[in-house]
Amino acid sequence: MSSKRISKELRDIERDPPTSCSAGPVGDDLYHWQASIMGPPDSPYAGGVFFLTIHFPTDYPFKPPKIAFTTKIYHPNINANGNICLDILKDQWSPALTLSKVLLSICSLLTDANPDDPLVPEIANIYKTDRPKYEATAREWTKKYAV
Amino acid sequence: MVMENAISDASDFAHTPIPKLTQLDALLRCHICKDFLKVPVLTPCGHTFCSLCIREYINVQGKCPLCLSELRDSMLRSDFLVSEIVDSYKAVRDDLVRVLVETKKEDEDEDADQSVIELGSDVEEPALSQSSDDVQIVGTNERGTLKRAATDLLGGSSRSKFFKSGNVAKRSSTTSRIESMFHKSEEMAACPICERFFPVKELERTHLDECLTLQSLGKSPNPAQRKPKLREKPVLPRSTRIKSTSEAPKVSHVDKYIHSSAENGHQRLPKLDLSSMPVTQVKQKLAQLGLPTLGSKQDMVARYNHYEMLWNSNFCDSLDPVDESELKRQLTSWEASRKSNSTKSTSNSISNMMVSRASKSNSQEEYRKLLANFRNDKFSRKAWSKLFNKQFKRLVRDAKKRVVKSEASTKEATSQHESDDKEDVEDPLSDPDLSADLLNAIDAKASKPSP
Repeated sequence: MSSKRISKELRDIERDPPTSCSAGPVGDDLYHWQASIMGPPDSPYAGGVFFLTIHFPTDYPFKPPKIAFTTKIYHPNINANGNICLDILKDQWSPALTLSKVLLSICSLLTDANPDDPLVPEIANIYKTDRPKYEATAREWTKKYAV
Repeated sequence: MVMENAISDASDFAHTPIPKLTQLDALLRCHICKDFLKVPVLTPCGHTFCSLCIREYINVQGKCPLCLSELRDSMLRSDFLVSEIVDSYKAVRDDLVRVLVETKKEDEDEDADQSVIELGSDVEEPALSQSSDDVQIVGTNERGTLKRAATDLLGGSSRSKFFKSGNVAKRSSTTSRIESMFHKSEEMAACPICERFFPVKELERTHLDECLTLQSLGKSPNPAQRKPKLREKPVLPRSTRIKSTSEAPKVSHVDKYIHSSAENGHQRLPKLDLSSMPVTQVKQKLAQLGLPTLGSKQDMVARYNHYEMLWNSNFCDSLDPVDESELKRQLTSWEASRKSNSTKSTSNSISNMMVSRASKSNSQEEYRKLLANFRNDKFSRKAWSKLFNKQFKRLVRDAKKRVVKSEASTKEATSQHESDDKEDVEDPLSDPDLSADLLNAIDAKASKPSP
């Protein structure tokens, strides 16, 4: 079932791509995709393009896809390995979700971080106590790694 | 444009004259597999999924995928009406897409105008009250308008203006265009005796004789009777009969339900915690159901769980349950596909080849599916060649390269062949049938190099 469903998603994304995101398989491997997300304009990531790798498990969509940033990014919910702390990629996953919905959620995570459930406590701390400093660093990293 | 192996998608309708069909199409799909609902079941929270999809998900997580409320498989109720709606929609979908796409193309053709005039003249026939009331309204009262409307559409610029000009006009234009297409493609003609419309060939070959016989027997329907009968059989469905999918329904739906209410003699299979049972007991349970007791305990537990899902989905949810032997076949094919994913040693050379490829690239699911079908007649060659399209192309490219190289330097080329040939062995090209075309292509391009 999974390959059919993934093919459908591929077709869906090709026909009706989500705004500011793009995704597609790497080579001929349907289970291994890469995606790009444009930094949302109302965030310190504006102007950057962030790459992600996506792995679909063989029991997709019963299990969530594994998604990680390959571009370095300064964000309370994304760590140095690019792992993303997002509920719908873990316990809140539902087979009714699609990759394009997940990518949109990641976009909105960039705009609104969730410092109460951080993956990198230091960044979360700065985010909560010194917002301008967080934004400056995030902008700097974006310029350095994502432009 | 009828799709065979291609994935159908709600957006197929997005660029047709009736884009709103996209929504209808999307609504009839399962949220889990994104395909048309197959044996739909309703949850207590009011959401509908394929029986097998939701049962499989409940085994992973006991929640509704949409509203995340608690869900157990005993809560599922079959939804026969949705099932029938999906089936009848699926039966017409290909035709619908084809007709709409062709109608759209027709817009761009000049003879769209022509066929509307044809239609106009048909409308004058009183017998054509069958086609659609809308057409008659527009056709008889403002035939000129209809024609102009169609030409407007060709222009495209005034399209929106036309569509705003009222629901009736819009609907009638679509209907009439679809209809006119059939008139054109099939060359319909009225039977001089019963005044009904038939494709010319059918009329000449069979219908005229039939009609004459009926008339000579004095059975010719009088006009009063004829009219309602014609209404029942509008031109469009009759024309689409070419595809034979839209033949008049054979079974009355009510009958189906009456039968379904009778016990089919199959009790729900319970969910069992087999993993905590001793192996002998597990074997006993499987034997009771007539299932094989081979493999490790883990295999047997998985076998029971999958069979329980197939069984309950089939006998508890389906309106047309298949018999146990079919379920066992499905189970076998599931197990074969499951094994081919993990196994390293298969006696079959074809399987070996595929497994070796499968470990290289990760489209295993597709392999497994194709592999599962290898044993029956459903093996899809198209899907297979599509799956390996890239490899095929790569091989062609390599072959072309070889030609160039062999021309440049024969020595270098020889060593190149060896490495290339090694790769070839791993490719599924050893199957002569599958790759015949490709090999021909390679032969044509690279007839020279032979190591």
